Amino acid sequence: MNPAGTAVALAAGLAAAGAAAGALLPGRARVPAVGLCTAGLGTAGLAAGTAALDGVRWSARLPGLLPLAGAHLAVDALSGLFMAVAGAVVLAVAVYGIGYAAGRGPYGVASRGVQSALPVFALTLVLVPAAASVSTFLLLWEAMALTSLVLVLAEQRGRPAVREAGVWYAVMTQLGLVLLLAGLALFAAGAGGETFTALRAGAPALSPAARGTVFVLVAAAFASKAGMVPLHPWLPRAHPEAPSNVSALMSAAMVNLGAYGIVRVAFDLLGGGPRWGWLLVLGTGALSAVHGILQAAMASDLKRLLAHSTSENLGLVLVGVGAAGLFASAGHPLPAALALAAAFLHVVNHAVFKALLFCAAGSVARATGLRDLDRMGGLRARMPATAGFFAVAALGAVALPPGNGFISEWLLLQSLIEGLTVPGVSTAVVLPLAVAVIALSAGLSAAVFVKALGVGFFARPRSERAAAAGESPPGMLLGMGLLGLGCTGLALVPGMLGDGLSRAVAVAAPGGGPPLTGDSLELRLEHLATSLSPLWAAAALAAGLLAALALVRVTARRGRRSHVKLWDCGGGAPTARMSYTATSFAEPLQRVFDDVLAPEQGVDVTPVRASTYLVERVSFRRSVPDRIERRLYQPLIGAVDRLGEAARRLAPGSAHRYLGYGFCGLVALLLTLAASR
Amino acid sequence: MNGIGTAAVAAQVTLVVVGAPLLTGVMRKVRARLEGRAGAAVTQPWRDLRKLLRKEAITPLGTGPAFRAAPPLLVATTAVVAALVPLVSTTTPVSRRADLILVVALLGLGTVAVALAGLDTGTAFGGMGASRQMTVAALVEPTILLAVFALSMPTGSTNLSAIVTGGLHDPVRLASPAGLLATAALAVAVLAETGRLPVDNPATHLELTMVHEATALEFAGPDLALVELGTQMRLTVLLGLLASLSAPWGIATTTTPLALALALAVLTAKVALLGAALAAAEVFWAKLRLFRVPELLAGSFLLAVLAVTASYFLTGE
Amino acid sequence: MNDSVFTQLLDLACGAFLLAAVAVLWLRQLTSIVRAFAFQGVALAAVAALLGLREGRGELLAVAAGVGLLRAGALPHLMRRVLAASRPGDGGGRYEEDVSEARETRPLVNVAASLLSAALLTFLAYAVARPLVALDPTPATRALPVALAVVLIGFFTLVTRRRALAQVVGFLLLDNGITATAFLAASGVPLIVELGVSFDVLLAVLVLQILTTRMRAAFGGTGIDDLRELRDR
Repeated sequence: MNPAGTAVALAAGLAAAGAAAGALLPGRARVPAVGLCTAGLGTAGLAAGTAALDGVRWSARLPGLLPLAGAHLAVDALSGLFMAVAGAVVLAVAVYGIGYAAGRGPYGVASRGVQSALPVFALTLVLVPAAASVSTFLLLWEAMALTSLVLVLAEQRGRPAVREAGVWYAVMTQLGLVLLLAGLALFAAGAGGETFTALRAGAPALSPAARGTVFVLVAAAFASKAGMVPLHPWLPRAHPEAPSNVSALMSAAMVNLGAYGIVRVAFDLLGGGPRWGWLLVLGTGALSAVHGILQAAMASDLKRLLAHSTSENLGLVLVGVGAAGLFASAGHPLPAALALAAAFLHVVNHAVFKALLFCAAGSVARATGLRDLDRMGGLRARMPATAGFFAVAALGAVALPPGNGFISEWLLLQSLIEGLTVPGVSTAVVLPLAVAVIALSAGLSAAVFVKALGVGFFARPRSERAAAAGESPPGMLLGMGLLGLGCTGLALVPGMLGDGLSRAVAVAAPGGGPPLTGDSLELRLEHLATSLSPLWAAAALAAGLLAALALVRVTARRGRRSHVKLWDCGGGAPTARMSYTATSFAEPLQRVFDDVLAPEQGVDVTPVRASTYLVERVSFRRSVPDRIERRLYQPLIGAVDRLGEAARRLAPGSAHRYLGYGFCGLVALLLTLAASR
Repeated sequence: MNGIGTAAVAAQVTLVVVGAPLLTGVMRKVRARLEGRAGAAVTQPWRDLRKLLRKEAITPLGTGPAFRAAPPLLVATTAVVAALVPLVSTTTPVSRRADLILVVALLGLGTVAVALAGLDTGTAFGGMGASRQMTVAALVEPTILLAVFALSMPTGSTNLSAIVTGGLHDPVRLASPAGLLATAALAVAVLAETGRLPVDNPATHLELTMVHEATALEFAGPDLALVELGTQMRLTVLLGLLASLSAPWGIATTTTPLALALALAVLTAKVALLGAALAAAEVFWAKLRLFRVPELLAGSFLLAVLAVTASYFLTGE
Repeated sequence: MNDSVFTQLLDLACGAFLLAAVAVLWLRQLTSIVRAFAFQGVALAAVAALLGLREGRGELLAVAAGVGLLRAGALPHLMRRVLAASRPGDGGGRYEEDVSEARETRPLVNVAASLLSAALLTFLAYAVARPLVALDPTPATRALPVALAVVLIGFFTLVTRRRALAQVVGFLLLDNGITATAFLAASGVPLIVELGVSFDVLLAVLVLQILTTRMRAAFGGTGIDDLRELRDR
């Protein structure tokens, strides 16, 4: 039997077992059982994805599973890539989750409801890319939305912020579903069939207007799932408020499916969208990248910072996808394939480092109960392994060598440079701007992660909770270790993805040939006469490091280092309150981007009674609200509120009135019928 | 041929390591003379380094691995960059990997390491320096990458050897508006990256104006020596890069020992000249207020944009 | 003069022309702004002279000389006089110089944002001029986007600066851009039209000079926002 098919069947079986275990098993056995089933499911997903990346194709029709059309599943290299990513993340996060949820009370993350929803959510993450008909896709998509909603709400007891996040998430995700439903239904109606094969065959017959409408509807729906501006407000709410293993799954696996959806529908099924549509995608991605990283730079809540950074990274992915579409629509498959390969590689890299970052943030939250960077500090000495993992992942996130994020951003920049061969005024104007946007977001992300690592983990603890922190249990460390291994592997030998990546790209943008050549040690771009060998760069850095240390060792007169108290310009050892906090770290950036961010601040001075000169207390507060949210959503919510108020007047409480509405409605309907016949 | 290529790389790195303190000495001398002072000897920075290297290594209490690793990492990143950049020869064993984006990113890694060390001390100065340094670094990035983009347009590659060879074969490219504007944008970015006036004053110890110095305050002895050496090497390499990109004449394209020796001499002269010019200019410049630095960087960003557009419409395709 | 040298020189002159416009946007000191403008006049004259030499047209050389005299000599001189008049007399000494009058302290759009806008305007100019260039791609028409960009930057200066003198420079940038467009696209307008336009510009600057003097007499400053006081209530 087909390996991919076996693995998919195994994953489904394990998910069912896990859900049953979560619902039925009592207390202590529940979390490990569910965790093991989920980890197995992840492994199966990873296996199916890897097999597909190796060139295995598999498709199945399960007539009994869905009424009318039946369920269609198909696995090709494109879905394989996303399945493998989701599977790997599920595997590591499930292992982490066993330690994370163990010993929690009967409510929250270890409860029956949450534990039985977790494997189902994991299964949908793996299976959405394998859906091969509109109904199957929508069903899995909705199941993913509902189970993730349950998981986001896991810790809602006594925490209004979680409920608010849940409402935002539910509303936004359902609106996204409506858009998706409308878009795909229009597409299916035009193509005369609802399986992906039928859509692919019927796409050329669609009128340009219909293609444009389908493109916009579907792209908007998927962009909202990827947390793109302006459909993003759910993301910085839901991701921080969910339990950390769920945040990791959502941020590292779920949002990717937004990018997958755009690639699958627009490239594969529609066969390429309109030029303006791709410009729109690219612009949205660029805007989200800058907006996300700016908000992250201002955030002092660690998980919120990570959520905003997710929005930034998916923005970069969409820049790559949009550029690929732009090049493909101009008839240049070569740069298109390269841009798409860069986008895919960034999806993989982002998934691994973001999952690790969220897991490390979860460990910190579990050990200290803190998410506020301003109150952390000193965790390096108290949780050395967690701090180390956070540092590895942060290195991936800052786009500097030898981190994995650097490789995909390098590839993205190279694809834009190769795109210069595409003539036309839009590419000539768009490409330099895209380069500037990528560079700005890379620069800011360096500042963001220096802040997160330096303020959160280094120096001295700024609160008693941070001072009392201890290292996480081994289960959690094992999960993080798997992800850390993934980060390191991707950073040093990205070439091992080479062929799989090329196959995945070929599904979406055929005709470009393999975008990358070279062996597993070196990425070579023949057209651009340049290459990158991450392992070589890391080795050279290590050699330089050793040489510098040797220089010190050779010249030193005294061997031992002595430990003395801090100098601090003669001030002696400062107290923890004197050290820089996340807020103060971000202050220069906030002032530089003052006009863009429009922060709100106020100072309250309480003078000592009977004197206007002596001050008793000064309080200072500052917040950096999301301007897009404030300008766009608050008026909208206000309008809906007013509409609701107006509608209340229809319901004064009289039962006769309510019955009368029904009666009037029926009569009106019949009258219309009579008149129209 | 491979032997000579390797020798070229070794010569580059050695020249940068040995020459960097001397360049700083020359620049201080030029500055002192212009200000009417006699100034210290040109070899003074070397003596300072030797003195510092012989002192006792000190680890302040409460600091961790990040603090310890930053000084050697700063030197290591710069040394790797010195090996990659075609300063004396375009045909070296590493020239295929000499990617301009990689070079920029490696320098960024050094900046990040020092900023983390500043935060690791937990002092107000360290945090302040780290915060300012990262702010400037974040804003420099668009300028520097757009300048890279403009420079790589005529060649269609970000490979440094290809760019430099292209400039050698087609000198008109260097004097075209696009080339000049890109070089100017890159020059401003280099000033910001190396912490020179008007972005940062390397000689200041006033808390209002410190940027890079503030992160390095807690270092002492050999650690301080490495930080100083790293900073000096960074300046040397970046000036050398600027010289290679804007005036590549003299760089060896063949692998003969004679060409190599000539290239070394020319490189020394070019970098010394650039350094002296920078020192002379610094006498007349004042440090910008920190919140005026974005204006300067926006200006150099605009220059880079103009370089890109100019290469579209002026030199034409 | 062979082709490549001509192209190179023309490109350099155009680059300098654009750079001067950017400098006007970047600088705050009004005297430096005037200097940048004078430099732009030289670059414009150089463009005209190069075209004249290339095509061997004597009258274009005469126009170039005229343009150079007017825009690098007369107009900057007039503006310097306005600036000099704005300083208090000798009695105050140099330390009592009215700083707010000599500098564009707070433009409506801050300098960094102005520079970024200028970057976008350059792209816009390029995008708009592309079809025009495609009609007849010669070295001169290829540089057309530069002239358009200067027109846009001049207009932007006119809109966003507060000091009357900075606005005058903005207006003159606009005019320089239009003149450059004429030179590059059509090798210059007829001599008589050019003379008329130049005369108009001179007149406009004189009027503006009188206006600024009057404004200073009335309000004690040349901030354009003060003109709001004049409207009917």
